[in-house]
Amino acid sequence: MSSSGIRQIFLFILLVFLQVWLFNKIHLLRYATPMLYIYFIVKLPGDMNRNVVVILSALIGLCVDLFEYTLGLNMLACLVTGFMRHYYLRLFAPRDIFESFIPSFSSFGQALFLRYAIAMTFTFMVMLFTVESLSLFDPLTLTFRIAGSFILTLLLICAFESIQSGISKK
Amino acid sequence: MKNLFNFILKNVHWLLFLILLSFSVWLIVKNNQFQRSKFLLVAQDITGKVYAVTSGFQSYMNLNTINAGLLKKIAELETEVYAYQQLLEMKADSVQTGSLEVDSLRVLIYQFIQARIVNKNISGVENYITLNRGAEDGIEADMGVLSANGVVGVVMATSAHHSVVIPVLNPKFHLSCKVKHSNYYGPLVWDGKDARYTYLTELPRHVDFEVGDTIVTSGYSTIFPEGLPVGVIVASQKQKDDNYNSVKIALFTDFYTLNGVMIVKNSYQQEQKKLQKEVIQ
Repeated sequence: MSSSGIRQIFLFILLVFLQVWLFNKIHLLRYATPMLYIYFIVKLPGDMNRNVVVILSALIGLCVDLFEYTLGLNMLACLVTGFMRHYYLRLFAPRDIFESFIPSFSSFGQALFLRYAIAMTFTFMVMLFTVESLSLFDPLTLTFRIAGSFILTLLLICAFESIQSGISKK
Repeated sequence: MKNLFNFILKNVHWLLFLILLSFSVWLIVKNNQFQRSKFLLVAQDITGKVYAVTSGFQSYMNLNTINAGLLKKIAELETEVYAYQQLLEMKADSVQTGSLEVDSLRVLIYQFIQARIVNKNISGVENYITLNRGAEDGIEADMGVLSANGVVGVVMATSAHHSVVIPVLNPKFHLSCKVKHSNYYGPLVWDGKDARYTYLTELPRHVDFEVGDTIVTSGYSTIFPEGLPVGVIVASQKQKDDNYNSVKIALFTDFYTLNGVMIVKNSYQQEQKKLQKEVIQ
């Protein structure tokens, strides 16, 4: 197995672990919960087969669901995000990248990566909290939850990304 | 034909996406029945074991708060023991003792089993709590769960060593409650917003109550005995139709620091359920 494959598996386990034991317990101002595990979908190689991306996205969602007893909820949100990723990459990936690439600050440039991460995170949050609110609909709470979790998650993704690009530069 | 085949092959990701999408929607819709399904019970045992490792650390972090709660509970129990001691002394002195024995027998209907929380999720709308006791400890579905301060929820499903509790912080769970010292009751319904508050709904408008009154379980189910503390009234508002009040309640149970709980076992639950079922048929 390639080193990139091992890296993906490691990232998968690490992010599910962090999500279930740390981030799901955080409720900043009672609304914002970071959903950092979508960083896994964000960081999948750009040229990866779309079918594989869709399956992996659904799988990580289902893993988080199993621990939270919210069967299908995270899976659906991840699935849609993973599916939309191809279109976001077409929109935001720099045109001059030809060979295999992993979306990051260094390969995209900060501005483009940030736009790509915003699109991904926002899609995920809207899907997750809208479907969740089907059982109890309250527009104001829904807006706060989407906005709060979106900002918190995006900040964490940027933080992780800065650390990673710092390490790879050294 | 070849073109059609090529077209399908080219768009196979759409097909895959739609299949997985319908699967996840099906999971969400079927979620209720799934909670009790065998598939989830297997997963539950695995996730429960993993959770048990990490929850040890968490319970250590909360020790201060738990200690304070326990001391308070000990003080209450001491008082109760003292009261019973006095009662016994009185019984020894008294000639007429028949009526006392009948009352003390009734207490044994409910037994309390101590358990520890291995995982809790109170950030979402539909929340669940996992406990470290399961079918092998005599736990069954539909048993009540209490904290030292008040009501927590009801056991929803059990595996061999773990059980999943649906807490009052879940809109799917309606607990029948009443204002202490009155006989009017209504369902307790959570609005999905704040883990510290919930609402007692459908309370007739003419029922007198004041802010600060205690809310207790009504005992109109086989799950909880009557009169267990739930919370205290903090505000009231009228419901859409003017005949009912909806009362905002501050819960006694602090779900953020909750760690140790007691499971209520009603020895006559099966019997009562069977009887009710027979009458309905």
